[in-house]
Amino acid sequence: MAEQQVQLTDLNFSQLQEVKRQLDEEVEHLTTSFGQLKQAQTKYRSCMLDIEEVKPEAAGNTLLVPLTSSLYVPGKISDPAHVVIDIGTGYYVKKTRKEAIEYYTEKVTYVQKNLEKLQETIERKQDNLQSCVSVMQMNLQAERQGEEQPAQ
Amino acid sequence: MSKLEQDFQKASKEFQRLQADLTATVEARQKLDYQQSESDLVLKELKKLTPENTVYKLIGPGLMPQDSGEAQQTVEKRLDFIKKEIDRIEDQLKTIGEKAEKKKMEVIKLQTEMQNVQQQAQKS
Repeated sequence: MAEQQVQLTDLNFSQLQEVKRQLDEEVEHLTTSFGQLKQAQTKYRSCMLDIEEVKPEAAGNTLLVPLTSSLYVPGKISDPAHVVIDIGTGYYVKKTRKEAIEYYTEKVTYVQKNLEKLQETIERKQDNLQSCVSVMQMNLQAERQGEEQPAQ
Repeated sequence: MSKLEQDFQKASKEFQRLQADLTATVEARQKLDYQQSESDLVLKELKKLTPENTVYKLIGPGLMPQDSGEAQQTVEKRLDFIKKEIDRIEDQLKTIGEKAEKKKMEVIKLQTEMQNVQQQAQKS
Protein backbone atom coordinates (compact mmCIF):
# COMPACT_ATOMS: atom_id res chain seq x y z
CA MET A 1 0.00 0.00 0.00
CA ALA A 2 1.66 3.14 -1.23
CA GLU A 3 -0.63 5.38 0.77
CA GLN A 4 0.59 4.03 4.07
CA GLN A 5 4.12 5.10 3.33
CA VAL A 6 3.16 8.75 3.06
CA GLN A 7 3.50 10.44 6.41
CA LEU A 8 0.24 12.17 7.29
CA THR A 9 2.17 15.01 8.89
CA ASP A 10 3.83 15.79 5.55
CA LEU A 11 0.51 16.61 3.91
CA ASN A 12 -1.05 20.04 3.82
CA PHE A 13 -4.57 20.74 4.99
CA SER A 14 -6.42 20.30 1.71
CA GLN A 15 -4.56 17.07 0.99
CA LEU A 16 -5.55 15.82 4.43
CA GLN A 17 -9.13 16.74 3.69
CA GLU A 18 -8.94 14.73 0.48
CA VAL A 19 -7.51 11.72 2.35
CA LYS A 20 -10.21 12.03 4.98
CA ARG A 21 -12.93 12.20 2.32
CA GLN A 22 -11.60 9.07 0.66
CA LEU A 23 -11.40 7.20 3.95
CA ASP A 24 -14.91 8.31 4.88
CA GLU A 25 -16.18 6.94 1.61
CA GLU A 26 -14.37 3.64 2.06
CA VAL A 27 -15.63 3.16 5.61
CA GLU A 28 -19.17 3.90 4.50
CA HIS A 29 -18.97 1.47 1.60
CA LEU A 30 -17.51 -1.27 3.79
CA THR A 31 -20.11 -0.72 6.49
CA THR A 32 -22.90 -1.10 3.92
CA SER A 33 -21.32 -4.35 2.71
CA PHE A 34 -21.10 -5.51 6.30
CA GLY A 35 -24.82 -4.91 6.76
CA GLN A 36 -25.63 -6.76 3.56
CA LEU A 37 -23.56 -9.77 4.63
CA LYS A 38 -25.31 -9.78 8.00
CA GLN A 39 -28.65 -9.79 6.20
CA ALA A 40 -27.57 -12.71 4.00
CA GLN A 41 -26.52 -14.62 7.09
CA THR A 42 -29.88 -14.01 8.76
CA LYS A 43 -31.61 -15.24 5.63
CA TYR A 44 -29.62 -18.49 5.62
CA ARG A 45 -30.39 -18.98 9.30
CA SER A 46 -34.11 -18.51 8.78
CA CYS A 47 -34.00 -20.99 5.88
CA MET A 48 -32.56 -23.53 8.30
CA LEU A 49 -35.36 -22.87 10.76
CA ASP A 50 -37.90 -23.29 7.97
CA ILE A 51 -36.44 -26.67 7.05
CA GLU A 52 -36.74 -27.77 10.69
CA GLU A 53 -40.36 -26.69 10.49
CA VAL A 54 -41.22 -29.21 7.71
CA LYS A 55 -40.92 -32.43 9.67
CA PRO A 56 -41.13 -35.88 8.04
CA GLU A 57 -44.42 -36.46 9.86
CA ALA A 58 -45.88 -33.59 7.84
CA ALA A 59 -46.48 -35.84 4.83
CA GLY A 60 -50.04 -35.53 3.62
CA ASN A 61 -50.64 -32.28 5.49
CA THR A 62 -52.59 -29.79 3.46
CA LEU A 63 -51.58 -26.17 3.08
CA LEU A 64 -52.46 -23.22 0.92
CA VAL A 65 -49.93 -22.43 -1.76
CA PRO A 66 -49.74 -18.80 -2.88
CA LEU A 67 -49.91 -18.48 -6.67
CA THR A 68 -50.04 -14.70 -6.39
CA SER A 69 -50.29 -12.56 -3.28
CA SER A 70 -54.09 -12.79 -3.49
CA LEU A 71 -54.68 -16.23 -5.01
CA TYR A 72 -54.10 -19.45 -3.09
CA VAL A 73 -54.65 -23.07 -4.07
CA PRO A 74 -54.81 -25.99 -1.65
CA GLY A 75 -51.80 -28.30 -1.77
CA LYS A 76 -50.59 -31.40 -0.01
CA ILE A 77 -47.05 -32.11 1.21
CA SER A 78 -46.07 -35.17 -0.77
CA ASP A 79 -42.34 -35.34 -0.06
CA PRO A 80 -41.29 -33.81 3.26
CA ALA A 81 -37.91 -35.55 3.08
CA HIS A 82 -36.59 -33.31 0.31
CA VAL A 83 -36.29 -29.60 -0.31
CA VAL A 84 -35.14 -27.64 -3.36
CA ILE A 85 -32.42 -25.07 -2.77
CA ASP A 86 -31.42 -22.02 -4.77
CA ILE A 87 -27.65 -22.30 -5.27
CA GLY A 88 -27.33 -19.18 -7.41
CA THR A 89 -27.32 -18.06 -11.07
CA GLY A 90 -30.73 -19.66 -11.64
CA TYR A 91 -29.76 -23.18 -10.56
CA TYR A 92 -31.74 -25.11 -7.98
CA VAL A 93 -30.86 -28.45 -6.41
CA LYS A 94 -33.04 -31.04 -4.73
CA LYS A 95 -31.54 -32.14 -1.44
CA THR A 96 -32.56 -34.14 1.58
CA ARG A 97 -33.34 -32.10 4.69
CA LYS A 98 -30.07 -33.14 6.28
CA GLU A 99 -28.04 -32.12 3.22
CA ALA A 100 -29.91 -28.84 3.06
CA ILE A 101 -29.11 -28.04 6.68
CA GLU A 102 -25.46 -28.87 5.99
CA TYR A 103 -25.51 -26.59 2.96
CA TYR A 104 -26.87 -23.67 4.95
CA THR A 105 -24.54 -24.28 7.89
CA GLU A 106 -21.63 -24.12 5.47
CA LYS A 107 -22.97 -20.89 4.00
CA VAL A 108 -23.38 -19.32 7.42
CA THR A 109 -19.76 -20.15 8.35
CA TYR A 110 -18.55 -18.87 4.97
CA VAL A 111 -20.34 -15.58 5.50
CA GLN A 112 -19.11 -15.44 9.10
CA LYS A 113 -15.49 -15.71 7.95
CA ASN A 114 -16.03 -12.88 5.48
CA LEU A 115 -17.72 -10.81 8.16
CA GLU A 116 -14.72 -11.19 10.44
CA LYS A 117 -12.33 -10.22 7.68
CA LEU A 118 -14.48 -7.21 6.84
CA GLN A 119 -14.65 -6.20 10.49
CA GLU A 120 -10.86 -6.12 10.65
CA THR A 121 -10.65 -4.00 7.51
CA ILE A 122 -13.25 -1.56 8.82
CA GLU A 123 -11.40 -1.20 12.12
CA ARG A 124 -8.13 -0.55 10.31
CA LYS A 125 -9.74 2.07 8.10
CA GLN A 126 -11.29 3.73 11.14
CA ASP A 127 -7.88 3.85 12.82
CA ASN A 128 -6.48 5.53 9.72
CA LEU A 129 -9.37 7.96 9.73
CA GLN A 130 -8.79 8.72 13.41
CA SER A 131 -5.10 9.50 12.90
CA CYS A 132 -5.96 11.61 9.87
CA VAL A 133 -8.44 13.67 11.90
CA SER A 134 -6.02 14.13 14.79
CA VAL A 135 -3.28 15.37 12.45
CA MET A 136 -5.80 17.82 11.01
CA GLN A 137 -6.67 19.04 14.49
CA MET A 138 -3.00 19.39 15.40
CA ASN A 139 -2.43 21.48 12.28
CA LEU A 140 -5.41 23.69 13.10
CA GLN A 141 -4.22 24.20 16.66
CA ALA A 142 -0.71 25.04 15.57
CA GLU A 143 -2.14 27.55 13.14
CA ARG A 144 -4.31 29.18 15.80
CA GLN A 145 -1.41 29.46 18.22
CA GLY A 146 0.63 31.00 15.48
CA GLU A 147 -2.09 33.63 15.03
CA GLU A 148 -2.41 34.40 18.75
CA GLN A 149 1.30 34.93 19.21
CA PRO A 150 2.42 36.72 16.10
CA ALA A 151 6.14 36.44 15.47
CA GLN A 152 7.89 39.49 16.87
CA MET B 1 -12.31 34.67 -23.89
CA SER B 2 -8.69 34.06 -24.71
CA LYS B 3 -7.43 31.09 -26.67
CA LEU B 4 -5.79 29.80 -23.49
CA GLU B 5 -9.03 29.82 -21.54
CA GLN B 6 -10.82 28.02 -24.34
CA ASP B 7 -8.13 25.36 -24.42
CA PHE B 8 -8.33 25.02 -20.68
CA GLN B 9 -12.08 24.56 -20.68
CA LYS B 10 -11.92 22.04 -23.48
CA ALA B 11 -9.20 20.04 -21.72
CA SER B 12 -10.95 20.04 -18.36
CA LYS B 13 -14.20 18.95 -19.97
CA GLU B 14 -12.40 16.08 -21.65
CA PHE B 15 -10.75 15.18 -18.39
CA GLN B 16 -14.14 15.04 -16.66
CA ARG B 17 -15.48 12.82 -19.41
CA LEU B 18 -12.52 10.46 -18.99
CA GLN B 19 -13.08 10.36 -15.26
CA ALA B 20 -16.74 9.43 -15.80
CA ASP B 21 -15.64 6.71 -18.22
CA LEU B 22 -13.23 5.42 -15.63
CA THR B 23 -15.91 5.24 -12.94
CA ALA B 24 -18.28 3.39 -15.28
CA THR B 25 -15.56 0.90 -16.21
CA VAL B 26 -14.63 0.30 -12.58
CA GLU B 27 -18.29 -0.45 -11.87
CA ALA B 28 -18.43 -2.91 -14.75
CA ARG B 29 -15.29 -4.55 -13.38
CA GLN B 30 -16.87 -4.91 -9.94
CA LYS B 31 -20.04 -6.42 -11.39
CA LEU B 32 -17.92 -9.04 -13.16
CA ASP B 33 -16.26 -9.80 -9.84
CA TYR B 34 -19.61 -10.47 -8.21
CA GLN B 35 -20.67 -12.67 -11.11
CA GLN B 36 -17.41 -14.57 -10.98
CA SER B 37 -17.65 -15.33 -7.28
CA GLU B 38 -21.30 -16.35 -7.58
CA SER B 39 -20.57 -18.70 -10.49
CA ASP B 40 -17.56 -20.06 -8.60
CA LEU B 41 -19.74 -20.97 -5.65
CA VAL B 42 -22.36 -22.56 -7.91
CA LEU B 43 -19.73 -24.65 -9.66
CA LYS B 44 -18.27 -25.79 -6.35
CA GLU B 45 -21.74 -26.81 -5.22
CA LEU B 46 -22.54 -28.63 -8.48
CA LYS B 47 -19.32 -30.61 -8.21
CA LYS B 48 -20.28 -31.86 -4.76
CA LEU B 49 -23.65 -33.28 -5.83
CA THR B 50 -24.56 -36.96 -5.82
CA PRO B 51 -26.81 -38.47 -8.54
CA GLU B 52 -29.72 -38.28 -6.08
CA ASN B 53 -29.57 -34.51 -6.12
CA THR B 54 -31.66 -33.40 -9.07
CA VAL B 55 -30.54 -30.14 -10.61
CA TYR B 56 -33.16 -27.66 -11.79
CA LYS B 57 -32.72 -24.60 -13.93
CA LEU B 58 -34.98 -21.63 -13.47
CA ILE B 59 -36.61 -20.90 -16.83
CA GLY B 60 -39.05 -18.04 -16.61
CA PRO B 61 -41.10 -18.75 -13.50
CA GLY B 62 -40.70 -22.53 -13.63
CA LEU B 63 -38.00 -25.00 -12.62
CA MET B 64 -36.90 -27.44 -15.31
CA PRO B 65 -34.92 -30.53 -14.36
CA GLN B 66 -31.48 -30.47 -15.91
CA ASP B 67 -28.58 -32.86 -16.23
CA SER B 68 -25.98 -32.10 -13.58
CA GLY B 69 -23.05 -32.52 -15.98
CA GLU B 70 -24.67 -30.21 -18.47
CA ALA B 71 -25.23 -27.60 -15.77
CA GLN B 72 -21.57 -27.87 -14.77
CA GLN B 73 -20.46 -27.34 -18.35
CA THR B 74 -22.68 -24.28 -18.69
CA VAL B 75 -21.31 -22.73 -15.51
CA GLU B 76 -17.73 -23.52 -16.56
CA LYS B 77 -18.35 -21.85 -19.90
CA ARG B 78 -19.77 -18.84 -18.15
CA LEU B 79 -16.73 -18.64 -15.89
CA ASP B 80 -14.45 -18.73 -18.94
CA PHE B 81 -16.45 -15.95 -20.50
CA ILE B 82 -16.31 -13.86 -17.31
CA LYS B 83 -12.54 -14.32 -17.10
CA LYS B 84 -12.13 -13.10 -20.66
CA GLU B 85 -14.37 -10.14 -19.95
CA ILE B 86 -12.31 -9.27 -16.88
CA ASP B 87 -9.11 -9.30 -18.96
CA ARG B 88 -10.75 -7.08 -21.55
CA ILE B 89 -12.03 -4.60 -18.96
CA GLU B 90 -8.63 -4.54 -17.23
CA ASP B 91 -7.03 -3.50 -20.52
CA GLN B 92 -9.69 -0.86 -20.96
CA LEU B 93 -9.10 0.42 -17.43
CA LYS B 94 -5.41 0.76 -18.15
CA THR B 95 -5.91 2.72 -21.37
CA ILE B 96 -8.52 5.05 -19.89
CA GLY B 97 -6.40 5.55 -16.79
CA GLU B 98 -3.38 6.52 -18.87
CA LYS B 99 -5.46 8.87 -20.99
CA ALA B 100 -6.96 10.51 -17.90
CA GLU B 101 -3.51 10.96 -16.37
CA LYS B 102 -2.25 12.64 -19.55
CA LYS B 103 -5.27 14.95 -19.66
CA LYS B 104 -4.75 15.84 -16.03
CA MET B 105 -1.21 16.94 -16.79
CA GLU B 106 -2.48 18.99 -19.70
CA VAL B 107 -5.12 20.66 -17.52
CA ILE B 108 -2.56 21.47 -14.84
CA LYS B 109 -0.17 22.88 -17.42
CA LEU B 110 -2.86 25.10 -18.92
CA GLN B 111 -3.92 26.23 -15.48
CA THR B 112 -0.42 27.34 -14.53
CA GLU B 113 -0.07 29.13 -17.84
CA MET B 114 -3.31 30.96 -17.21
CA GLN B 115 -2.20 31.97 -13.74
CA ASN B 116 1.07 33.28 -15.14
CA VAL B 117 -0.78 35.36 -17.68
CA GLN B 118 -3.03 36.76 -14.98
CA GLN B 119 -0.11 37.67 -12.77
CA GLN B 120 1.59 39.39 -15.68
CA ALA B 121 -1.58 41.35 -16.34
CA GLN B 122 -1.82 42.41 -12.70
CA LYS B 123 1.76 43.62 -12.60
CA SER B 124 1.51 45.79 -15.67
